[in-house]
Amino acid sequence: MAEWLFHLCEQLEATSLGVWVRESIYGFPILVAVHIITLVFSVGIVVWLDLRLVGVSMTGVPVSRVYRRLMPLAFVGFAVMTLSGGSLLTGFATSAYKNPYFRVKLVALLTAGVNALVYHTNIERRIALWDRSPVPPTAARMAGLISIAAWTTVILAGRMMSYTLYTP
Amino acid sequence: MSGLGDFFSQIESSSLATTIRDSTILTGTLSGIHLIGLTLIVGSVLVSSAGLAGLIVNDQPVAELTRATRRASIVGMIISITSGLLLVSFRLNMSAATQAFRIKMLMLVVATLFHFLVYMPAARGQRSAVATKLAGAVAFLLWFGVVLGGCAFILFE
Repeated sequence: MAEWLFHLCEQLEATSLGVWVRESIYGFPILVAVHIITLVFSVGIVVWLDLRLVGVSMTGVPVSRVYRRLMPLAFVGFAVMTLSGGSLLTGFATSAYKNPYFRVKLVALLTAGVNALVYHTNIERRIALWDRSPVPPTAARMAGLISIAAWTTVILAGRMMSYTLYTP
Repeated sequence: MSGLGDFFSQIESSSLATTIRDSTILTGTLSGIHLIGLTLIVGSVLVSSAGLAGLIVNDQPVAELTRATRRASIVGMIISITSGLLLVSFRLNMSAATQAFRIKMLMLVVATLFHFLVYMPAARGQRSAVATKLAGAVAFLLWFGVVLGGCAFILFE
């Protein structure tokens, strides 16, 4: 266990935001509700871009158009989801640090982020060649599958985390 | 105790319900699967509604555009309703007495009826008609309400 990281978690819990999350009557339930709703909203949208990349839905619509029309909405959801999740973390950082499902969730989030980065910096650069193709190239399909797997893991680990946060 | 209460108690004491109750991993996994099902429904209805409103493409038949989302919403319903039933199987009497759960169930019934009686036929029909756009928006709001009711149940049960 990295002591400096645990100490950082303790400091996070001691912030006024951390105290508010733990002690206010409505702070925690409102943040959890916002976190779950924005997760359902944004992941629910991203899955459809992923399915287009995999080549199983909206195959007659160019990938770039699906991205342009759907992702701005998802980005708003992701921003609020990150803010609410980060705020929740300040209230229970040390418990989360010790929780194995939180670590799984973080790894899955990191995987989703790196996957999106690789897609945008590498795979998407040649999109003109396959934008209208019903079944995109293997690399794009893999990016779609990895994204679906990563977000599924985020949801499962997130729910497991809430059931085990205070289990020693 | 009422007849319904006795029936709920019988389900609560079944081996399936007690197995779920006694396993944190099983309960947490079912809760995650339940949320995945809801995510699939909300995402499908939202994307489909965008298609119905002409926000994705204007040059393709709407039924073709919404075919996958219609199917996915049904898969999402099967996943979330099955996992939801398993999740409440060991606490049916307590759940039935909770206001948030009652509201969620009412929203679920209304959303499901609207989904099959109004939204699905609209998603097979003509794009850009005001009624079609309205059907998409109402379906989204109803499912959003189900998720909101679920959040309230998680937090205030």
